[in-house]
Amino acid sequence: MKKLMTGNEAIAEGIIESGAEVVSGYPGTPSTEVIINLLPKAKDLKIRVDWDINEKVALEIAAGAAWAGKKAIVTMKMSGVNVAADSLCSIACSGFTGSMVVYVADDPGTAAGMTEQDSRYYAKLMIMPMLDASNQQEALDFTKNAFNISKKIGGPVFLRLTSEVAHAASDVQFEENISKDKDNPFFKRDVAKYSKAKASFCMNQHQEALNRLEKARNTVDSELKIDKVHYGEKSGVIVSGSPWMNLQEAISEYNLDISWLKLGMIYPFSQDKIKSFLDKIDKVLIIEELDPFIEEEIIKIIGQYGKKIKVMGKLDHTLPKVGNYSFDMIKKALEAFLEKKLGSKISHEIVEEAKNLEVSRPSSFCTGCPHRGTYYALNQAIKQLKYKKEDIIVSGDIGCNFLGANPPFNSCWSEVAMGASIGMAQGLKLAGIEKPIVATLGDGTFFHSGIAPLINAVYHNIPLTIIILDNGWTAQTGFEDNPGTIDLKKDERSKKVELMDIIKACGVKNIFLTDPYQYKDTLEVLIEALKYNGVSVVIARRECSLQANKRKVSLPKYTVNIKKCIGCRKCIKELACPAMSFSFSKENKKGVMQITSACFGCGLCKNICPTGAIEVIADED
Amino acid sequence: MKTDFYFVGLGGQGIIKLSEIIAHYGMEIGEKVKFYKEVGLAQRGGSAHGEVRIGDVFGSRIPPFSADVMIGMEFSETLKAIEFLKPGGVVILNDHKIYPIDMMSETEKYPKDEDIINLLNRQKVKLIQIKAAEIAEEIKFPKAENIILLGVLAEIISLDKVVLIKVLKQHVPGRFIEQNLIAFDKGVDIAKNSVVK
Repeated sequence: MKKLMTGNEAIAEGIIESGAEVVSGYPGTPSTEVIINLLPKAKDLKIRVDWDINEKVALEIAAGAAWAGKKAIVTMKMSGVNVAADSLCSIACSGFTGSMVVYVADDPGTAAGMTEQDSRYYAKLMIMPMLDASNQQEALDFTKNAFNISKKIGGPVFLRLTSEVAHAASDVQFEENISKDKDNPFFKRDVAKYSKAKASFCMNQHQEALNRLEKARNTVDSELKIDKVHYGEKSGVIVSGSPWMNLQEAISEYNLDISWLKLGMIYPFSQDKIKSFLDKIDKVLIIEELDPFIEEEIIKIIGQYGKKIKVMGKLDHTLPKVGNYSFDMIKKALEAFLEKKLGSKISHEIVEEAKNLEVSRPSSFCTGCPHRGTYYALNQAIKQLKYKKEDIIVSGDIGCNFLGANPPFNSCWSEVAMGASIGMAQGLKLAGIEKPIVATLGDGTFFHSGIAPLINAVYHNIPLTIIILDNGWTAQTGFEDNPGTIDLKKDERSKKVELMDIIKACGVKNIFLTDPYQYKDTLEVLIEALKYNGVSVVIARRECSLQANKRKVSLPKYTVNIKKCIGCRKCIKELACPAMSFSFSKENKKGVMQITSACFGCGLCKNICPTGAIEVIADED
Repeated sequence: MKTDFYFVGLGGQGIIKLSEIIAHYGMEIGEKVKFYKEVGLAQRGGSAHGEVRIGDVFGSRIPPFSADVMIGMEFSETLKAIEFLKPGGVVILNDHKIYPIDMMSETEKYPKDEDIINLLNRQKVKLIQIKAAEIAEEIKFPKAENIILLGVLAEIISLDKVVLIKVLKQHVPGRFIEQNLIAFDKGVDIAKNSVVK
């Protein structure tokens, strides 16, 4: 059977076909859709699929299941591995009786923002094998292979995709009607394996992990066809990940017959396989996105066996370390490598002209987004307290809240990592900055990594204003639920955790709850909080408007009274609401503001119109 | 053989749905398919685009100057696709302008029609211009701009309409099937009566 699947959908299918029973993870582009695809099927498949509070806990859940002999997988984006790393390092040394796959999605070209982290180095650091899929079919096949390798060696295996493979779709062959027998959970007490209480335990486990790597390599070389090789001319390319697809396209387009070695398992390296490939060629080009991970290994192998061969790649600047590789970049690298022009020269003049005419579209908050009200009120509070905007540092965080850095709000100054807004703000304060410092973060981010830094601020009594923009969802990655999410009772799989209770329990004395749709209240609360010389927390609570809209929450909509509108455009300039439009007409030279049917009804614009021209639409019923 | 389709527009216009339908059409006629969609901040009014490759291809992204067909749902967004457009290819251009918020009070900064058309003409494309928003208003289904364009596309490059309608029905909510079929037929009719320049 064939179906159109993205890389993430293919992994979800691979998980089902493998008969995995525990799936955990934390949302993060470009990895999120694996769990999104499995969630609706979980009940029928009788497997555990859910979002967990952060990547570290998610990893521990999968590993715990593998300790009990089960098949488990944990999913995350590259930054998530940093969060999970502490536990992973220990688990990879212990190993288990079941099997566990760690799916990590790297993002060269930053489709979603964040650092261009090359997670392949984690394979080396954690002493874990890593499979790197080049296309959607491999995403499915490698998921199954990763489980097999993990079971065989008794330790965790990384499965890595990059955003282009994870998000693009192609026709994928899959199996139907899978039914797998489930084992009874069993965990054997063995402190020498599952604890680090003695030096001898630790060193033995270290050796075991190294042995597992070797076993993984042997398994791949003898049983699984994960690496691919083709022998042609004496110019050879070593490639892995998504660039393999564009390389094949170039080979077909320009009728090339170069030799190539495509690595599917990129750690541990197969010295023998690489040596025998190098034996048959007289120059080599390494194509891999991000860091020269494979290239450095190839140079090491060449050094060890003393062959004289020209190596091209990143270290000689044939290809860059930054960004993802387009067809054009691979074509140019091949031209440099083969010392000939490929295809006819096309003039790029027209592209330049088109680029000069392009309209830039700055992203703002969605229609009805509660964060618009919070940042607008924050800016006004700063003004009313007679501070200059450039005096008040706003330490932002990961997620939708950071759209507050964009015009017209220009609020947030910095964005580091999940929950880091609160920790970074403390450092800035301790550096001696006297004016109030604000940290803004979303509810999901607070649950993920914001609690420990909040306790630290209370513990050391570091004055801060922390605003939790509580829209009830982990929204930016695609509306996943988190412990604070509203009303999931329908499927009875979760219990809501109240944010207010946590903040109180952290020892915060000055806590405010406000609705960002109520402008005057929010402004008052923020002024209070900024004036307080201690830790104050403002919960700005209102559900994400896109989610509320899906749940058919309906609020009165607004319209512009043309007789009162003076065309000053204050509303559009200060709020940048996508539901607003402005146009000039023959009858009205000063121009006319309009609120379109996209209006959600947050009512913020009504508060700022100097002539009171924005009015609620009278209910027709 | 291969056909590369480049779809470009703004979040909320249904551009991704349109590309998805073409990708599934490719599957339905038994071809190899690659489908890439830009998933950025499109929901917040940003640019959105889809790439569908049907036939003997490897990469999921269309190489420069290779797209056989380009569908532009928003006038100026078309500019972002020019570097992928094959000289002599087919361009279906929706005559719909959406101003970004910071340009709303200065619409004169929006690129001029003739500048964009001129660039397309220099690529010697077969250009067909459609006012899909007006037609969508006419049939009282404002969200159908994308499906009207699908009808136009089907007629212009002779897709198998029976297969395409089957796929269309699978990809729109049940209660909107009738309206979408009307929009599709409207697109086909317009294409039949249009001049390709």
